Amino acid sequence: MSMYQVKTVCPEIKIDLPTCMYKLPNIHTRQENSCSPDHALQNGDVDPAVKALEARQDEILRKLYELKAAVEGLAKTVMTPDADLDVTVGNTLSSQSSSCDIFKGSPNLDTLLGKDLGALRDIVINANPAQPPLTLLVLHSLLCQRYRVLSTVHVHSSVSSVPPQLLSCLGPKHADSYARHMFQLGFTLIWKDVPKLEMKFSVRNMCPIEGEANVARFLFKLLAPYPSDPVLATLVDGWVDTAFFQLADGSTKERAAVLRALNSALGRGPWLSGPEFSLADIACYCCVMQTGSASSAATNVQRWIKSCENLVHFGPAKVLLK
Amino acid sequence: MTKEEVNGATEEEQHAQSKKALKKQQKEAEKAAKKAEKQAKLAAEQQSADEDDFAKDRYGLPAMVQSQEKLDRALVRVQDLTPEKADQLIWLRARVHTSRAKGKQCFLVLRQQQFNVQALVAVGDRASKQMVKFAANITKESIVDVEAVVRKVEQKIESCSQQDVELHIERIFVISQAEPRLPLQLEDAVRPDGEGEEEGRATVNQDTRLDNRVIDLRTTTSQAIFRLQSGVCQLFRDTLTKKGFVEIQTPKIISAASEGGANVFTVSYFKSSAYLAQSPQLYKQMCICADFDKVFCVGPVFRAEDSNTHRHLTEFVGLDIEMAFNYHYHEVIDSITDTMVQIFKGLRDNFQTEIQTVNKQFPSEPFKFLEPTLRLEYTEALAMLREAGVEMGDEDDLSTPNEKLLGRLVKEKYDTDFYVLDKYPLAVRPFYTMPDPNNPKYSNSYDMFMRGEEILSGAQRVHDAQLLTERALHHQIDLEKIKSYIDSFRYGAPPHGGGGIGLERVCMLYLGLHNVRQTSMFPRDPKRLTP
Repeated sequence: MSMYQVKTVCPEIKIDLPTCMYKLPNIHTRQENSCSPDHALQNGDVDPAVKALEARQDEILRKLYELKAAVEGLAKTVMTPDADLDVTVGNTLSSQSSSCDIFKGSPNLDTLLGKDLGALRDIVINANPAQPPLTLLVLHSLLCQRYRVLSTVHVHSSVSSVPPQLLSCLGPKHADSYARHMFQLGFTLIWKDVPKLEMKFSVRNMCPIEGEANVARFLFKLLAPYPSDPVLATLVDGWVDTAFFQLADGSTKERAAVLRALNSALGRGPWLSGPEFSLADIACYCCVMQTGSASSAATNVQRWIKSCENLVHFGPAKVLLK
Repeated sequence: MTKEEVNGATEEEQHAQSKKALKKQQKEAEKAAKKAEKQAKLAAEQQSADEDDFAKDRYGLPAMVQSQEKLDRALVRVQDLTPEKADQLIWLRARVHTSRAKGKQCFLVLRQQQFNVQALVAVGDRASKQMVKFAANITKESIVDVEAVVRKVEQKIESCSQQDVELHIERIFVISQAEPRLPLQLEDAVRPDGEGEEEGRATVNQDTRLDNRVIDLRTTTSQAIFRLQSGVCQLFRDTLTKKGFVEIQTPKIISAASEGGANVFTVSYFKSSAYLAQSPQLYKQMCICADFDKVFCVGPVFRAEDSNTHRHLTEFVGLDIEMAFNYHYHEVIDSITDTMVQIFKGLRDNFQTEIQTVNKQFPSEPFKFLEPTLRLEYTEALAMLREAGVEMGDEDDLSTPNEKLLGRLVKEKYDTDFYVLDKYPLAVRPFYTMPDPNNPKYSNSYDMFMRGEEILSGAQRVHDAQLLTERALHHQIDLEKIKSYIDSFRYGAPPHGGGGIGLERVCMLYLGLHNVRQTSMFPRDPKRLTP
């Protein structure tokens, strides 16, 4: 090196460290081997020491991010009353793949939809692009965790153009989408000029199901059985109807009334119907967000909205709300 | 004057006749006198008219146009006759669609392709009685040159395409006269399906139409059909060119039958014989092997099938596509279906008037499709058919009624008239079809359907000479006959696939017509070689 050598300014000092604190390993230890003295410094080359310093900084930052993520994950489990603590903490660092299984019962597709005849069990949903069915998008992402779902989006010829976010609302194409027989369930969303959302499944044995609420009920049954307690089941049904008839299609007065009712119901428990997250929460969340009444809602509702948003399945719906 | 004499005689003879009878006789006499007077007057009038027809040079039959002179006269199109042109004096050339004389005026409907306008010749300071008479006697379908003033009308003229204006004719000349007896009436030829039978009015049957195709093609319906067909061709070319395809021309006289030898036309070729191409398949594939990457061709295809159905022709226009792909033959399916969707969209957006015109005569539901196109697998189709009660084996081909049924099932569930059926059983496809990599029973082949009828059949082709030889042997094909075909894959061939569409069938099914002869301008079938 063609620089002046400078003597150490400060001689080595012995410091008495306090013993009442935790011992921490030296964070500077990992730099050692990265710095090779025989590496010639060329024109424009960065000093290996600087490089090492940068690497160390990156390392520290990475650790900090990890820590932040872990804390956020913990916060989420605190905020979301239902989420299983262990599962969530274990997976928060890669929260995309978190498959927090909120539903206990595991229904069998064969018993629900009839025997497999070799054809893909394809659920076809005709929706009007003017009213994207947010509830169904949430249910779709829940279905994707449970089953191998082939999701496709089509545009019907009765609609001339559809905004791009509606075309990608079911997420990226599955890598195996070229082989339809490899899937358990088909979810085909068709943007079509229909007055009312409709779902077709088995055209031979089943009439089309009309209305977002009813389709949501059908899809939810594929995820979890309705509560066996008839009172609870009725409660869920009641909230779903309230959401669609009084929130989505209701007058300002009705909406205000529903929001008050939501607030008081959420004062009694973390979720709308009983101790578990259910279709009632999905439907009410989507309708509250769609009508834009979230900001004016009372504290319990606000807290509940946060809880819902902490679940990854609401991601696709949130994208469309923006 | 003998009558009066007789009258007088009777008077004398029967003096005692009643007063009533007398009166009657008097009246008769008066009548006779009046009649004579009238006749005389008429004759006089005629004479005077013949002598001085002030509008003599405003109508007539000019000499045949032999390019004697080059007039610098601007002719207006019928479709441009709008209220903006009101009160202008214009020249126009059109056909006489109908004419109706009524006393001192004559109404004509003048037609140009699918557009028509009402015109009027009335006795006045511009037109004489003789001119009105002349106009009334022009035969239907004659071509006339007309000078007229455009006038706005109070009430819309419902029967014409130009509803807001009419023409007041000042001069009219016949350029080409039609024979008075037409083999078919245009009004009869455009009468909606079924309506004629109910009201006891005439309809024109298919053969009369085809025998007199020139007149039949003049109808608004035919005009619309063939304009739409031209649109299909144009959209096909434009879309593929945009996708980087190259249009190629392939020979139609070939030395060996490309797809089996059964349904091929033999033609004499100097001292030996040759065949008419059943499809450009072989040449398309050779172009791929010659590194053209993506090719298409539009041209005639010949099939010597003696089948007299609503959808078979012995010569039709084939729209053929062949392309090399990278890793999966679905790249080919995506390209073809996207091309079809672009065609359908183009027709939906730019040919609405033509579609409406055809619908007036042949009502049908509008063509529906999905973007991207729905793709089903053969096993799924089988399951759907079985659910509907059809019994068929796993490796059976779809029969025409089953295809129709499947089309209805798919339409019911997905509400689309266009879809792809993928993964056909290997056994029902030609030998050059690539087998499925996972299941030897199936193949990388597909059919496309419109309104439940097959319009395209395609596949990934075997591009390996070794495998091709095996497949040919399996199908018991004489290797000598297809040697040149196999040889073209010996020097390195990219993986490729493609398919071919029949233009007439696509038009027929898009419009929901029931006979492919309606969408073929001069159809060729086992029973028809003319016109």
